[in-house]
Amino acid sequence: MAIEADARVRDAILGGLALQLADEELFLGHRDSEWLGLAPEVEEDVAFASIAQDEVRHAAFWYELAEACGFGQADALAFDRAPSERRHAALCARPNGDWAYTVLRHYLYDAWDAVRLAALAESGDEVWANGARRMLREEHYHHLHMERWVVDLGRAGGEAAERLRGAFAALLPDLPDLAAFAVDPQALVDLGILSRPLADLRRAFVARVEATLSRAGVPVEEIAATLAAHPREGARQAAPHDDAAALLETMNGVRSLGAAVW
Amino acid sequence: MAMTQVEKDQVHERARHTSYDVYEIFVQASDLDPHVHVGSLLAPSPEWALQLARENFLRRADAVNIWAVRRSDVHATPDDPDWFAREFDRKYRDVSGYADNARRWKRFKAQAMNIDDVIADVRKE
Amino acid sequence: MPEARREAFMARIRRGEKIEAHDWMPDDYRLLLLRLIHMHAVSEIMGAYPEKEWVPKAPTLRRKMSLMAKVQDEIGHGQLLLRVAEDLAAPLGRDRIELMDDVITGRVKFHNVFHMEAPTWADAGIIGWLVDGAAIITQTALLDCSYAPYARVLKRICAEESFHMQHGESIILSLAEGEPWQREMLQEALNRWWEAILFFFGPPVVTDAARRMMEYRIRSRTNEELRQKFLTRYVPRIRAVGLEIPDSALRFDEEAGLWRYTEPDWERWSRVVRENIGPKSQERIALRRMAHQDQAWVREALVRARTAAVV
Repeated sequence: MAIEADARVRDAILGGLALQLADEELFLGHRDSEWLGLAPEVEEDVAFASIAQDEVRHAAFWYELAEACGFGQADALAFDRAPSERRHAALCARPNGDWAYTVLRHYLYDAWDAVRLAALAESGDEVWANGARRMLREEHYHHLHMERWVVDLGRAGGEAAERLRGAFAALLPDLPDLAAFAVDPQALVDLGILSRPLADLRRAFVARVEATLSRAGVPVEEIAATLAAHPREGARQAAPHDDAAALLETMNGVRSLGAAVW
Repeated sequence: MAMTQVEKDQVHERARHTSYDVYEIFVQASDLDPHVHVGSLLAPSPEWALQLARENFLRRADAVNIWAVRRSDVHATPDDPDWFAREFDRKYRDVSGYADNARRWKRFKAQAMNIDDVIADVRKE
Repeated sequence: MPEARREAFMARIRRGEKIEAHDWMPDDYRLLLLRLIHMHAVSEIMGAYPEKEWVPKAPTLRRKMSLMAKVQDEIGHGQLLLRVAEDLAAPLGRDRIELMDDVITGRVKFHNVFHMEAPTWADAGIIGWLVDGAAIITQTALLDCSYAPYARVLKRICAEESFHMQHGESIILSLAEGEPWQREMLQEALNRWWEAILFFFGPPVVTDAARRMMEYRIRSRTNEELRQKFLTRYVPRIRAVGLEIPDSALRFDEEAGLWRYTEPDWERWSRVVRENIGPKSQERIALRRMAHQDQAWVREALVRARTAAVV
């Protein structure tokens, strides 16, 4: 009895985490894909499109993991869950803004994702650890790419640097929720899924972005300050729906036509 | 048939005032392969050229290394048909020039060797 | 002197020799190629816009990724072709910025099909299936082009198009195998696209430019020959999935060995392309303006950044 209940509780927590990660990757990948044909140069359009595809591919991995936890079929989890059921950080669903906002958002998201994936890679669960390790390796190119964008826009001065600072100001309030989990992080540590507590991960996140954002001329000290002001120790509250609702309505533009095989 | 030096200089001059440079991209498929030219792209710097080369040229191929070379650093042979001229046969330095070895070994009741057999033999435990 | 040079060049062409970017070439060889390849490059990029509309709405994760990959390929093809065009244009003092501005000023044209609306998911399927199908035929016909840089890029493009073929067919097969309303959606999309796809190959009249391109062995087949090849290959397939081709006059004339069909309105479609007056022409040109001109600040920033002092 106790073992069954434990297994169910474990699946519920892990499934919840998988859905959070999946929703975040899917929404970000979806936003990234809106740049198709619109990037600042043709070669970049092609490169950025690969990053967008990677995010959706990673989302598919997490949805499949949630499916394995008994949550339902992957596509149904991706498309059919209502906005109020979504577990993403608000940052991932925000509309794109300009190129500076897009690359800085991606850079910050990727930095946090790398930190949490590194912790998951040390997980006691081989499926989670293996998936996290593979994802980390793929994310390396994203990190190199976005870091180069952020530093170059900052160092360029002029309009680019101004837009970058504007993007930073817009993204800052979303960082406490980004650096958090939709399920209780302590429960994840207890289950051996996360190797480190949230506070450690947040410190690692700040350490990871400090040098780059300084080089880019962005007030990085504000990140530690805002994280300290908003600890987010338990399970993160669901993000306000508006962005997700609009995004999901678009995403279901064809699916909503009727039950069918596509 | 090639452009004159004056024409080439003019192209080079114009290129220098354009913000981005043309980078020729070379890709090494595996550790045992040489770098192979796959095309070119526009980029503001060598580091960007490498970043962009990965997705512009390697979406469907594996590689272990990429070279990006500014086009102005590539030196090419002139468009001169005689530059590569080889008119007389050079069979003395080719396997095909020794086709008679097999017949001659036969007289000694042995066979001609080929390099692939030697390689297979050395590799085998 | 110039006449001798030209004759020597034509002798190379007739011997089947390939021309490289740094070779001497007659001005009109360069200009014919540049116009062809520039239009090809720009068409690949403009072709991304009707399809990219369906990425956010793609109904499964797999279709979403697949369509992203396909659109990415089109832009990638644009990149490969732009490089070829840029190397041809460089001696004329023209660079990428100018070649892209030409889209916005209307100086360079793009294929009729990319001026059209794609109002349903079935349209995304038809584009992947039949528009790419038509493009594969025209591109395959150019593989023997005397201009080697173009021929090399076309080889790479054709390899990627083979995925596009599978992707497009997979989508329409799902619709054809699906609910009655899905099959209806597919039929309606075909009805919308048929005339445009026929026009894609170009009017049957062999223009002076086309004739010169054939002499230069830039191309080897006429527009009509390619259209006929498309019909031979695709009419049976379209009918096989239960679709009706919206042309009651369409039939194969055994005696002549030719498809007979209701002719598209050649003049109307030519005007759409020449004047950018299709239903989506201006909207998509505006997207290109947004991408290119409105984001010049990004490209300029990268140039400044490379010389900025390292902090």
